[in-house]
Amino acid sequence: MLDLSVIVNNFAFLVVQGLLGLGGFTGGTLRLAIPAIVLGFVLGIFIGIARLARAWWISLPATLYVEFFRGVPLVMVIFWIWFIIPQLLRRPIPEYGVALTAFVVFEAAYFGEIVRAGIQSVPRGQVEAATALGLTRAQSMRFVVLPQAIRNMVPSLVTQMIVLFKDTSLASIIGYVDLTKAAQIVNNREIRPFELYLFIAVVYFVFTYSMSRIAARFERRLA
Amino acid sequence: MHYDFHWQVLWSGQSGRWLLQGLGTTLAISSLAWLLAVGLGILSGALRTVPWKALRAVAAFYVEFFRNVPLLVWMFFWYFGVPPLLPEAAREWLFDHGAEFWAGMFALGVYHGARMSEVIRSGIQSIPKTQFEAAVAMGLTTFQAYRLVILPIALRLIVPPATSESLNLLKNSSVALTISVAELTFQTRQIETYTARAIEALTAGTVIYLVLCVGIATIMARVERRFAIPGLIARGG
Amino acid sequence: MRRMLAVLSILGLALPIAAPALAQQGTLEKIGQSGVLTIGTRTASPPFAFVNKQNEWVGFSIDLVEQAVKPAIERKLGKPITIEKKESTPPTRIPLLSSNAVDLIAGTMTDTRARRESVDFSLTFFVTGAQFLVKKNSPIKGIESIAGRRVAAQQGSTNAKLIRERVPTARLQEFPDQPAAFQALAQGQVDAYTNDGIQLYGLRAKAPRPDDWKVVGDFFSYEPYGMAMRKNDSDFRHAVNVGLMEAIESGKYFELYDKWFGPNGETPYPLTPENKRFLIMQVVPK
Repeated sequence: MLDLSVIVNNFAFLVVQGLLGLGGFTGGTLRLAIPAIVLGFVLGIFIGIARLARAWWISLPATLYVEFFRGVPLVMVIFWIWFIIPQLLRRPIPEYGVALTAFVVFEAAYFGEIVRAGIQSVPRGQVEAATALGLTRAQSMRFVVLPQAIRNMVPSLVTQMIVLFKDTSLASIIGYVDLTKAAQIVNNREIRPFELYLFIAVVYFVFTYSMSRIAARFERRLA
Repeated sequence: MHYDFHWQVLWSGQSGRWLLQGLGTTLAISSLAWLLAVGLGILSGALRTVPWKALRAVAAFYVEFFRNVPLLVWMFFWYFGVPPLLPEAAREWLFDHGAEFWAGMFALGVYHGARMSEVIRSGIQSIPKTQFEAAVAMGLTTFQAYRLVILPIALRLIVPPATSESLNLLKNSSVALTISVAELTFQTRQIETYTARAIEALTAGTVIYLVLCVGIATIMARVERRFAIPGLIARGG
Repeated sequence: MRRMLAVLSILGLALPIAAPALAQQGTLEKIGQSGVLTIGTRTASPPFAFVNKQNEWVGFSIDLVEQAVKPAIERKLGKPITIEKKESTPPTRIPLLSSNAVDLIAGTMTDTRARRESVDFSLTFFVTGAQFLVKKNSPIKGIESIAGRRVAAQQGSTNAKLIRERVPTARLQEFPDQPAAFQALAQGQVDAYTNDGIQLYGLRAKAPRPDDWKVVGDFFSYEPYGMAMRKNDSDFRHAVNVGLMEAIESGKYFELYDKWFGPNGETPYPLTPENKRFLIMQVVPK
């Protein structure tokens, strides 16, 4: 029943074009996922800390940002950036730019929430103790709260990175040929959904599972 | 660029009814899937922290396996992969009674259960171990310590990330359109087909999701404040 | 941070309202400046536009643009141009045109009156109609026998719309792509799959055992395929139409038809004398 020749014959297209993004089409899951994770997380740290700031003019915009992007589906964000940024700049944007922008601004809202929850999971007494010891607010954030917060947020953070990694498959709707899109293209020609989706599931699993293993090791070291 | 907006397409003709039907389906599939996800999440999240290795392994397997494979693949699995394993009569019955809805619901619930489980585990693990030791020292059994001490605190810690995750579930229900479930995103596309007004239809979809999600998030933020344990949670630096 | 937020919130909702204020530039002028004609087309609609076994993006619609439309535009502009292909799908093709991301949709887009309110169409370059794909021994004979049946269709297709209107008791299930719909038919989730006849023949030809399937029923819809472009740009539209008319007149069109739909083509589908006559009659005198 399972005919793996469809995978063997299209292996180069699926992996080189779909996963790595080298070939005749704009695409590549890794080429999009890695910068999106790094940039989204960096932006997320700022947003998470901003949300907890005492000054309302810092915390309010951050809150609005988070609520807005958590409230709309990623597909919609991609569509809007795709159709509207070209009009702002008055020239078309390559699909890669659209996809990367959409993922970074969208995922930063989620990373921001995780950072906030992580900071809040640190018992208040810790901050009070740090203040009692004479640390400034920035110092207590840097030396007391953040190290503990990061430890608490590692599981959610990794879950979110895994989500982002798999969400990159949505870039296919703007014609970005990532792993999922490459499989769809082959599938439309060969009508072999089981073999192809099984194959890409395995590829995604290899990456995401290694991410969660590395995180588990990291978590143990921090514990 | 020149684009004339015709917002009336959203309420003229059948569009309004479609949007409502889509919203109804989205809410139905999401709430059933949410119940399933929370049940599975609490069970496996708690199991991952218990002192028995075999149970931990079962829970870990469930979580790793389901959350590491894209939801789209799970949709196909439950819709195309599972029915052929059922007996003929059951299969026919299912096909006649909205198989795509139930397959989509299972895919969504089981997948998000695995992710919910991680949220719950990180909540439980952020509770200092001494809490558990103190509970046991007071004479509580492991089960009682979980039920009376660990879970009540953990549930409060996980409200923000669990809300996030629930909103994810709501929005991910749109993936069910790949197996022909006529939910909200599907209906916005439907309007586009009938009226050729893509931007209006997309905007309608965006606004409905936004209202739903912001509404839920606001309620949950209120719940979070109401049940917060004073002194337990640091309010920023 | 605050500035970014301001920009983002504008992006979110306010901009679509401000957008029409931007000045309009003719498509021919745009192509003349950039030297590039950007088309939006499909990746999986054989034999009109698809990625073949060598992973090249080819098809009948793409050939028509390259061999009929491109020469006409080059002649009009007096300089060579290149063609760039982008993917467009039913939900994205009209916004892609409006946002200037593509200049011409050349795939399998049916010309309809509703769509003409948003975009303009070239003359018709292919004519087909909806039919059903069923299992060999199925009792379904056409649209008259689908009441109460489970019928799959492609999402956003004109066929789904017609079934909903003409046979409201049919239980319609819409899938976003052809493989999913075909899989549902093969496994019995649905009793029939409806799409444009030409696409069903293509699907049947590729199925593991083509003889297990049959295409049934008279055309229950009229699906004239046209190339879509931005509204109110008659210079560009004229250039595209001249290209198509010249190709029909010179026989180039029929050569290409034979390449894709002839006995040795991707999907054998003979051109009926009626359709041939219709194509020729669209060619207006010089």
